[in-house]
Amino acid sequence: MTDYLCHDFKTPRTDAARRLPSTFRFIPIIFYVAIVGSAYMMTMDYFAFQKAKRQKMEADERKSRIEGERDSLNSEFAELEAESKKAEAVAQWMEGARNIQPIVVKLARAVAAETRLGTLSLERDEDVAANIALSLKVSGTNATTEVINIENALGQLQYRSLSPQQTKTEDDIEYRSTLVRSAQ
Amino acid sequence: MNPKQIACFVLMALIGIIVYVAQIVHQKVTAMRQEAEDAESAATTAESERSTAEIKTAVIKTETEELRRFLRSWLPAVDKIQTQQEVKQTIELSLREGGITLIRQNKDEPKSSNTNKVIPKSVLTTLTIEDEYAKVLNWFGDIERRLPLARMKAVQVTGGSTARQLKLDVTFETPIFDLKAVAPAKPAAKPNDKEKKS
Repeated sequence: MTDYLCHDFKTPRTDAARRLPSTFRFIPIIFYVAIVGSAYMMTMDYFAFQKAKRQKMEADERKSRIEGERDSLNSEFAELEAESKKAEAVAQWMEGARNIQPIVVKLARAVAAETRLGTLSLERDEDVAANIALSLKVSGTNATTEVINIENALGQLQYRSLSPQQTKTEDDIEYRSTLVRSAQ
Repeated sequence: MNPKQIACFVLMALIGIIVYVAQIVHQKVTAMRQEAEDAESAATTAESERSTAEIKTAVIKTETEELRRFLRSWLPAVDKIQTQQEVKQTIELSLREGGITLIRQNKDEPKSSNTNKVIPKSVLTTLTIEDEYAKVLNWFGDIERRLPLARMKAVQVTGGSTARQLKLDVTFETPIFDLKAVAPAKPAAKPNDKEKKS
């Protein structure tokens, strides 16, 4: 190859287009920086995404497990509450359904053989079924003593006489009171 | 526009697209992180609710232990009498076994209550019997034993036709319990559930 030819190839040529401003040289640099930066960011984001996804899944699993336990406890609570309501209803009824036969027997045994126990009436209060209206007639010479014996006998059965009234006619005593169960 | 300018614009556009995509991805990650935090927070809330439910259950279990034991001890008696017929049969059997002279025909009246769900029905029985002192009182004890839930409403004891005899007028109410009427309350639906449904 001759010098002429080489020279000919290296002949300076005029620019086909105007030169870009020098600041535009940064555009490719910014481009590469953007690619590298984005690649870094996206990689980090990918790992962060996976981690967050795993955390979310674990938290959801934990939540559903705990909610299951909570619901089970709530159901147990509701059952216990219902059971105690039933128990309260039964207890409320039973409070006014205590046996009366022991009272009748105790009263009959409390009086002496020579004393006559007339009409004995026991009636439950309509509003407070646990309270019993007692009415009886004691006839005999020791009627007053027998009334005291009756009250003592009732005390042994955990009953106390509320506002007792006695009407005495010769040897007879008409005794009325409200029997209230003493708190144990 | 010359090719250099076009190339610059293409590069700038590519930079824009890369930044935009990176931002979108980052936003998604941020959203996922937020979701993870929310899920964590929801799990913590659920844990707190579970603890509260556990405490409440333990408290009610302890507080109502005696009451529930009481109910358990009475359940056989409650289950035993479930119809008016059973009440009638029990009384008849008791009278027959006790050999008691019945003066007045016993009257069984069913009684309904709309207010009391647990005891929607009860049987009101009125009896007048006359027999020996011991037999009458024994029968009285026996009927209270056979019908332990019966509430003796009125009892009148008077002398019988002879000195050894006793006349007993008794009115008692036997409840027919319906314990199934008290059903466990359903737990209130969580607001989140409602939102999901809607």
